[in-house]
Amino acid sequence: MATPTLPPTVDAPVEQVDAAARYVEAFEMHDGTLLNGTNARLQGLRREAIERFEALGFPHRKAEAWKYTNITRTINRGYDLFLGQPEPDVTDADVAAERIPELDAHTVVLVNGRFDSERSTIGELPEGVRILPLAKAVEAEAELFDQHFAQYASFEDEVFTALNTAFVHDGVFVYVPERVALETPLHVINLVAADDDLLVQPRLLIVVEDGAQFKMVQTARSLGDGKTFTNVVTEAYVGRGAHVDIYEVQEDDAQASQVTTLQAHQKDDSVFRTSAFTFGGDVIRNNLNILPNGNHCESHLYGLFLGHGTTHIDSHTFVDHAQPDCFSNELYKGILDDQSTGVFNGKVLVRQDAQRINAYQSNKSIVLTETAQMYSKPELEIYADDVQCSHGATSGQLDDEGIFYLRSRGLSEERARAIMLMAFARDVVDTINIEPLRELVDQKLTARFRR
Amino acid sequence: MSTETQYLQDIADSDYEWGWTTDVEADTAPVGLTEDTVRFISAKKEEPEWMLEWRLKAFRHFMTLLEENDNYPQWPHLEYEVPDFQAISYYSAPKKKAKYDSLDEVDPELLDTFDRLGIPLGEQKRLAGVAVDAVIDSVSVATTFKEELAEQGIIFCSMGEAIENHPELVREYLGSVVPYTDNFYAALNSAVFSDGSFCYIPKGVRCPMELSTYFRINAAGTGQFERTLIVAEDDSYVSYLEGCTAPMREEHQLHAAVVEIVAKDNAEVKYSTIQNWYPGSKDGKGGVYNFVTKRGICQGDDSKISWTQLETGSAITWKYPSVILKGDRSVGEFYSVAFTKGHQQADTGTKMIHLGKDTKSTIISKGISGGRSNNSYRGLVKINKGAENARNFSQCDSMLLGDRCGAHTFPYIETGNQTAQVEHEATTTKVGEDQLFYCAQRGIGEDEAIKLIVNGFCQEILAHLPMEFAVEAKKLLSIELEGSVG
Repeated sequence: MATPTLPPTVDAPVEQVDAAARYVEAFEMHDGTLLNGTNARLQGLRREAIERFEALGFPHRKAEAWKYTNITRTINRGYDLFLGQPEPDVTDADVAAERIPELDAHTVVLVNGRFDSERSTIGELPEGVRILPLAKAVEAEAELFDQHFAQYASFEDEVFTALNTAFVHDGVFVYVPERVALETPLHVINLVAADDDLLVQPRLLIVVEDGAQFKMVQTARSLGDGKTFTNVVTEAYVGRGAHVDIYEVQEDDAQASQVTTLQAHQKDDSVFRTSAFTFGGDVIRNNLNILPNGNHCESHLYGLFLGHGTTHIDSHTFVDHAQPDCFSNELYKGILDDQSTGVFNGKVLVRQDAQRINAYQSNKSIVLTETAQMYSKPELEIYADDVQCSHGATSGQLDDEGIFYLRSRGLSEERARAIMLMAFARDVVDTINIEPLRELVDQKLTARFRR
Repeated sequence: MSTETQYLQDIADSDYEWGWTTDVEADTAPVGLTEDTVRFISAKKEEPEWMLEWRLKAFRHFMTLLEENDNYPQWPHLEYEVPDFQAISYYSAPKKKAKYDSLDEVDPELLDTFDRLGIPLGEQKRLAGVAVDAVIDSVSVATTFKEELAEQGIIFCSMGEAIENHPELVREYLGSVVPYTDNFYAALNSAVFSDGSFCYIPKGVRCPMELSTYFRINAAGTGQFERTLIVAEDDSYVSYLEGCTAPMREEHQLHAAVVEIVAKDNAEVKYSTIQNWYPGSKDGKGGVYNFVTKRGICQGDDSKISWTQLETGSAITWKYPSVILKGDRSVGEFYSVAFTKGHQQADTGTKMIHLGKDTKSTIISKGISGGRSNNSYRGLVKINKGAENARNFSQCDSMLLGDRCGAHTFPYIETGNQTAQVEHEATTTKVGEDQLFYCAQRGIGEDEAIKLIVNGFCQEILAHLPMEFAVEAKKLLSIELEGSVG
């Protein structure tokens, strides 16, 4: 079956293409056929989302949230919309290459946003735990689905979330019931395989009930020659006293652009941690929104991004302290080489009456070349007085004295630089609580810095 | 609430009840903004043709901005109604008529406030709107100052006089740092600016006095669209103070001033501001909109521009004194205390644009918010590609004096050179219980303790003000603090 495509863009000059209108047209074309669904609420949501999408339109550079990231070139490409059945040009070897050595994990393989049941290997799960294709969960877990889906990732002001919601078709659904600890992490492998330009929009819904524990690793890889654009939305519900860790590794695929949105909703006494490692790509925008909606929540946000070539990496974080007595800590580090661009825009909002909040935010970056750029915008917006909030941002180059010290001990300049960079990245790498993953990230970094 | 604070509120409220109505006098431009308004202003001021042309260019640009709603600056963290630009009168001649005949008629509480601030008698009269006798000390002092400055070749006069007497200088520098295309309010100011100050320090001259002193005596009635231009030639130095600690009786709600500074090789300009305009009534009605574009360019090598500000007034403040560090080894500094209470909103900060090699900038900003006010720091540090070895250090501290106010920090850091070193840090805190306890132990009451702590918090900024103003500034902060801590 042929893959449905967006209306053609062939002759229109790039500036004149109204990318948003093409998506709306595609939606209307496939609504009720390829974008079918028996869930009435989902149908309604899709319709609302596409209307919201149309009203918002794609961001232009005047929009404060997109000040440093020009997404126009990325969205204006005439992507295929992968709405048909998967005809994956993916081999078992491709999947095997993405597995993390030594890691005992339940593995879910998403091929172009579709849950590939044949290649996914889910081991024995504790009672009540569900790991399902999202497309199946709509019906199989209808009650949970309706209760949580699109409840956290609002598309009111987020155009990419609106687009994802309008075209939602598959992804992963995870449910961990009360007081169950899923010891073995879930590894979600996102494979995007295309010889033509392709847009994929997977959706993840993770529900971790009171007192439960869950860890997830997400990795992404582009195969094939086409330019790919992944617009993924992940919603995580973290119940009272629950612990959730989410790790993300974005591989260095020059043809891959990504907009990722991770929305976490925390209840009382819960702990949410996330660490993102970005090794490259075309245009990468990672949105991370955390709402600690309860007392005594702990939120940890870490990120390490390495730019080279012309990679553009934008980390956009938002911690919305709506309730008192919470703690959040944020550390983002960047190393920018060649002509790459790094952006960090982090915001901590402390709402009125959310007293006794401790919130820390730090962004540090190293710019290695004359042509690389770093834009940093750490923001604090505070409406409560009994708080301890601080943020810091630094930008600089490797310390000459440090290099000299290492060289005076017989190390080559390359080696000395590699050690210094490794040391810089160390504290973010150390936030990984899954040993084999930490090893893997370590190896990738070592390989990168030795180049 | 103490009587002083109450009084300041009252006096302000009562003033403004009539202050914003437009008197239709002969010297007042009709309401609205058209090309004729600009011609009217230019004609009133008897300006040469080139000046009119300059204004008209700006006016046409402003009208194109006005046509599309998109062009109105929406990004500040402020909530207010956009002024209706066709409902404003853009020119009224400075009022010369005195309101009172002697100080005895002035409300004694206002005089008390002046006394507490330590304002000299002659000045009290001017501030309170009393007819000033031509022979009182201040005026003769001013004349002496004028002679002393002229001897050194320093030009210091109103913008109007400068256009008439030094057109070559004005033409060369006016709009060279803040072109009319710069932003919405810069365009408006360029079209309709009323008056302002012009200051030229020749090569090698160190201005023998704080121009502030002079300014305080002479600069009344410059109108709502002030335009200031300071040019410091090679190896010169000048310190300039704008504004005044005393509660200002301003007659216009919208103030859009432009200040431009040019510093040549090895020159240094120090610009200090104290702003205490009407902040609006206690329930947030009225108050001055203060939309200011201030920018200096360190054009020459080894030059330095330093901004120091104490902002306590205005309902809405929107102000980013900036420095373009073009010359090699040039230095930019920004020291700011912004205090908001009641329903005041301030979005203020700076921009440091590093272009030259080995350039350095320092930003120290202290925000204090009380009541239901919102106080934001917004600052840009931009290191351009060619700015080798640029350094920046920024520190933004906020203090909250209540649980219904907001303190925000929005720094923008753009690094385009690998040799740059940029550091930014910000903290938000409240007055510590332990600090209050420590004071209470030593017999210092809560009110006094808070004044002490807040003054300590601002100390490193106030220390950068010219000495006599530093003393006044401290007193002003103390008065403002009264009754703002709940």
